[in-house]
Amino acid sequence: MTVTIIAEQQQEGTHPTLAQMVSAAKGLGGTCKVIIPGGSGEQEASNISGVDKVMKMTGECFSSFDSQSWSSSMKNSIEGTVLLAATPAGRELGASIAAELGISVIQDVTSISPGIKLERPVYSGKAIENLTTSENCVITIRPNSIEAAEMGGSAEITSQDSTESIRLAVLEAIAKASEKIDVSEADIIISGGRGLGDASNFEKLEEVASTLGAAVGASRAVVDEWGLPHSMQVGQTGKTVTPALYIAVGISGAIQHLAGMRSSRYIVAINKDPDAPIFAVADYGIVASWEDALPAMHDAIKALP
Amino acid sequence: MKAAVLIKQVPDTTAKIDISGGEVDESGIAKWSISPYDEYALESALQMQKDVGATVVAITLGPDRASKSLVDAAAVGADELVHISHEGAIGSFALQTALAEAVKRVGADVVLAGKQAADTNAGSTASGVAKILNWPCVGLVSKIDASEGEFEATRSTVAGLERVSVSSPCVFAFDKGEDKLRIPNVRGIMMAKKKPVQKHTMADLEVDASNGGITESSVTYPPQKPPGQKFEGASSAPEVVSRLRDEANVI
Amino acid sequence: MRTLKGLYLSGCIDIMGYEALDFYDVDSLLTDEERMIRDVVRDWVDSSVIPKIENACREGVFLDEWRQEIGSMGILGAPLKGYGCPGLSYTAYGVICRELERGDSGIRSFASVQGSLAMYPIWDFGSEEQKERYLPKMATGELIGCFGLTEPDYGSNPGDMVTKAVEDGDGFVLNGAKMWITNGTIADLAIVWAKLDGVIRGFIVEKDDPGFSAPEMKGKHSLKASVTSELVFQDCRIPKDRILPGVKGLRGPFSCLNNARYGISWGAVGSAQACYDSARSYAMSRIQFDHPIAAYQLIQNKLAWMLREITKAQLLAYHLGEKKDSGTWIPEHISLAKMNNVDIALEIARVSRDIHGANGILDEYPVMRHMANLESVKTYEGTHDIHNLILGRHITGIQAFTREA
Ligand SMILES: Cc1cc2nc3c(=O)[nH]c(=O)nc-3n(C[C@H](O)[C@H](O)[C@H](O)COP(=O)(O)OP(=O)(O)OC[C@H]3O[C@@H](n4cnc5c(N)ncnc54)[C@H](O)[C@@H]3O)c2cc1C
Repeated sequence: MTVTIIAEQQQEGTHPTLAQMVSAAKGLGGTCKVIIPGGSGEQEASNISGVDKVMKMTGECFSSFDSQSWSSSMKNSIEGTVLLAATPAGRELGASIAAELGISVIQDVTSISPGIKLERPVYSGKAIENLTTSENCVITIRPNSIEAAEMGGSAEITSQDSTESIRLAVLEAIAKASEKIDVSEADIIISGGRGLGDASNFEKLEEVASTLGAAVGASRAVVDEWGLPHSMQVGQTGKTVTPALYIAVGISGAIQHLAGMRSSRYIVAINKDPDAPIFAVADYGIVASWEDALPAMHDAIKALP
Repeated sequence: MKAAVLIKQVPDTTAKIDISGGEVDESGIAKWSISPYDEYALESALQMQKDVGATVVAITLGPDRASKSLVDAAAVGADELVHISHEGAIGSFALQTALAEAVKRVGADVVLAGKQAADTNAGSTASGVAKILNWPCVGLVSKIDASEGEFEATRSTVAGLERVSVSSPCVFAFDKGEDKLRIPNVRGIMMAKKKPVQKHTMADLEVDASNGGITESSVTYPPQKPPGQKFEGASSAPEVVSRLRDEANVI
Repeated sequence: MRTLKGLYLSGCIDIMGYEALDFYDVDSLLTDEERMIRDVVRDWVDSSVIPKIENACREGVFLDEWRQEIGSMGILGAPLKGYGCPGLSYTAYGVICRELERGDSGIRSFASVQGSLAMYPIWDFGSEEQKERYLPKMATGELIGCFGLTEPDYGSNPGDMVTKAVEDGDGFVLNGAKMWITNGTIADLAIVWAKLDGVIRGFIVEKDDPGFSAPEMKGKHSLKASVTSELVFQDCRIPKDRILPGVKGLRGPFSCLNNARYGISWGAVGSAQACYDSARSYAMSRIQFDHPIAAYQLIQNKLAWMLREITKAQLLAYHLGEKKDSGTWIPEHISLAKMNNVDIALEIARVSRDIHGANGILDEYPVMRHMANLESVKTYEGTHDIHNLILGRHITGIQAFTREA
């Protein structure tokens, strides 16, 4: 079989998901072609082990993201099963390519094996959908759900110019006014409690949160005592949240707090008291002072590929 | 101007999902709602109704129960309602083809949809419909300013927010919108029930309702999580991080 | 021993927000519209009342945004027809009261007073001009009304009220005082019951009328998110066209009260459902002596009793709604439902508080707030015992309100 990977666009080099897509393609067997829309990184891409061909696409339409003109410009270069990373742009482009080719798209899969057998979480992770599909489809794969392929390849690089025109115009970039993610919408929440000692230590949580793309929450005790915004409060009288990951830092786990977060899919607790009730609901508990554990955790997160 | 809003009825996000025989047991779902991002799309269309006098057409595809979401849309102000009836699984391309056909038949100049539905979390519909109609698509939109035939929208990208301009006809896929959702009003609810619904079948839209290349599908519960694990000391942090990545798959 | 996490994973505990207890599926008897209205009000309570109510109670305020949003939902004066009013069934009105009171009795009180005690008398007893002048704006919440019947010295016995009106040239002059008046200080107009030549009549007093003031009563331990006021009339002069032409005597205020009491019989179910919901979820997650307290028979007995009483109260309220809608009711039917449903709601709140242990006294949980609120609800709109006396009179034909025959 043949797999075509559409690389996620990146200013410089290749996006970390590309090597993961290559590894997924190798798992399916057959040849692997990488299309690089606009952008750069064809050299790096050709060095990923398992890549057979790299094709860089250039042209006016690649000056900014326009899924529809991109998919039109690629349609003749695509062979076989199409893989993309399930980033927002990848999903939009993947859906457009599938419609261009008149085939199905299966989004956000977390497992892919020959056959082609796929798994994807549905109902916000409350269930898993298991699918078998023909090779004639577009698949987007959730970033970091597959081990990346190694370097060490040397694929042939070609390039192609597209005459497709772009149909939307970017007027201006709006500086993102460090907009904070709301706890009720976040996939990941990192919350602090009295154990942090002082309101100023919430900055440390903010740092980890910005690395993870997480929202920062708080227990009622600190919202009341340290005058934090009520919108941050998780618990009985605050928000009831069900993120994929909830990290409780210096929160003992009073029943009122647990009421607001215990349905989170995974819970990590950092607390120096080994008997703190929060450990009863934690999937991963770290018995340590947050001053030591949080930086260590942050470093480990930053070190992830 | 005519704005078509694609709305999907999904189990309320607080609903408990029970599975039996490889399928979600719908009888256990107490509450169905319009998928949250679709609500922002609808709100934006209603803004266009106010600002430029757009006619708002709500279109849904699904089984009989889905018509309730049309009534909900009418209750907040949708002018026309279209229900494409279909039971059971359907491939993304067939679904998009049917929706695109309905959009053509109502004569819409702009399509608004949510960026993804809260049940399947896929996020294919807006972009696929755009392709079939051969209209441009702007994704992850949070705000649209409409004037006759021209739109300026705020969309989110990896780099941040940007303002883009695009002309009609076109498709928008909504992220969480900037505008507050309106609360339905009782009078609207009473009138909504009386609003006629245009019914279509896949057959009269001339769409092959096959499941695309998907030959098998079933739903299962997520794997049981391992029992809680406790680690001693800050030095265990990297271990926990790697488990979050490999075991839990959440970062 | 099962850990808390274990219970969640095995599906024994699912906390997914408020789930209204409806054991007999009584809501399946509602029409589609009634269910849609229920969902709209319930969602509004979830998003706009629950997150703000404890703070509002602590500060003792009724938020103006509640007035605006309730107004824009179009649920004020629910069963009234015409003049911009919703024209819903009495059952729909009951459902609205239930959902509002699930949030807080103070919010329901606002709507009861506006709809049943201020809009209704204008709608039923007012002149055409009065209806057109006030009702459309009251239906949207632009104008707020209150209802002045109770006086400092006349509560259960309003017939002996001393507030007086006298005709004077081109108007009326009012003197006297009313007490315990919900919405008084925030009201744009008051329906005031006063004696004109010894006969009880209704008057519309506007907030800027000379000689009228409405100071707020402070220090309540109950209905803290509701405004309660005195109405003071010192040579308060109002134009002639402010008298309600259509009614004389106690029938005026009592017909308003019948509607409000009907709404309360549904509202109390909402409070009870909230207290039950909280007790159930707390009992499932509170572990003592190694097990969730819900695993102990004494707790189960309490929960089963709550379920039983709530189910009965739901059926009472629903059937009374049918009777209201078909016009086959008598005031005693309403007395029974108001008395019973408030009574069991208050008892359920107390038992729920007990199940919550010390946590039950915190404002993290809604139960003590409901409990304190329901003490007012038990007293206003005819005290529990006054309704017993009404039923007693109905059964025996002998009135026992006073010692004289
Ligand atoms: C928060 C709140 C809001 C209110 N809002 C309004 C409002 O908006 N408008 C309004 O007009 N009023 C309002 N009221 C007043 C309410 O209607 C009265 O409190 C009620 O009618 C009872 O009157 P009372 O408090 O004077 O009690 P009383 O009549 O003095 O009764 C005291 C006790 O004696 C009992 N009792 C009285 N008579 C008898 C009898 N014959 N036989 C046996 N027992 C008897 C009662 O059951 C009660 O237990 C409100 C009250 C409260 C607490």
